[in-house]
Amino acid sequence: MKNPRNMTELFSKLNDLKSIFVYGQKIIPVIQSLIDFMKDTVPLLENINKSIDESTKKIPTAKDQLHNVSSATEMATTEILDRVDEIYEDLNASQQIINEISEKYSAKKDAYEKLKEHLKGDKKAFELLNELMKNGISEQLETLTTKINDIQDKTYHITLSLQVQDITSQQLEAVHHLIESVQYRLSSLITDLEDTEFNELEKSYKSKEITFDADASYEHEKENQKVADNLFGGKQVENASQSEIDKLFSGAK
Amino acid sequence: MAMKFLVVDDSATMRRIVGNSLRNLGYQNFVEAGDGKDALEKLAADGEINFIITDWNMPVMSGLELTKAVRSNPKFEHLPILMVTTRGVKEDIIQALQAKVNNYIIKPFTPQILKEKIDQVLATV
Repeated sequence: MKNPRNMTELFSKLNDLKSIFVYGQKIIPVIQSLIDFMKDTVPLLENINKSIDESTKKIPTAKDQLHNVSSATEMATTEILDRVDEIYEDLNASQQIINEISEKYSAKKDAYEKLKEHLKGDKKAFELLNELMKNGISEQLETLTTKINDIQDKTYHITLSLQVQDITSQQLEAVHHLIESVQYRLSSLITDLEDTEFNELEKSYKSKEITFDADASYEHEKENQKVADNLFGGKQVENASQSEIDKLFSGAK
Repeated sequence: MAMKFLVVDDSATMRRIVGNSLRNLGYQNFVEAGDGKDALEKLAADGEINFIITDWNMPVMSGLELTKAVRSNPKFEHLPILMVTTRGVKEDIIQALQAKVNNYIIKPFTPQILKEKIDQVLATV
């Protein structure tokens, strides 16, 4: 302490210490605020965690509901197809009956014609026979046949419209996949808490094969059908260069 | 030669719709398969199949994989293949083309387009 150099060092260190205390006094309210903030955050984080956990638990229900919609639609479509097939068969059977009636009527008509020849001298009988011939049924049978063909055509178009089931089931499958990816990511957030469950989910999510078209849509006269037609209608298209293919596709999505 | 079709689709509804359409066009003879692998098995077991109508998106083996498998088998490499699928984006159509699918229909199809494509394929093979 007798050395003035040492004294200078001592004062310098004391000044540093003083600065630390002054800084400490200034920082204490900040630290206090931080502690208060953390105290407030803990329940909030717990709530978030709980919310994620609950959301994750609800996802399988949402997936099940989607699956149920898909299954119910498929079942209903099958029932409609069954009924349409039955109608189609009934119409075929009706057409068969009409054909038989028509054949029998033609045979009768031939017999009438022969009878007419025999009854030429008997005016009264001839008139009666003409009256009977007037009430022919061939026109009605033709109308019936046209109607049956018309109904068959309409039932076939109902069948074609049921393609919507395949398209919507692919759209539902795409939503299902999206939900699964959300579940996968939410679960990865709480992986520390439920390590084993996540591993199972991860395995199942990653091994899942994509067998749907997320862009499937039910619309007729698609622009891309024309593009496909152009490509497949071309000559040696399989050997076309990329620039030729791009040229064919210009204007397509 | 009598036509025998192989209709490949994982959707039972679509198989029935394609089957009904074939019947309407006068083709009564066809068999069904639920995926590409099933189709290959049916193809190997049934020596009469001479036309394949296949979907693209299927489990186990897709329509595109089926096409490649058929084209790589000398016994079936020239078999006509018509793809009927929802996939209508440019890259998909190119892939199908490069896999040597004979023609391509984007669902939903109409009876006219199915007839037109079958006729076109039959005219070229």
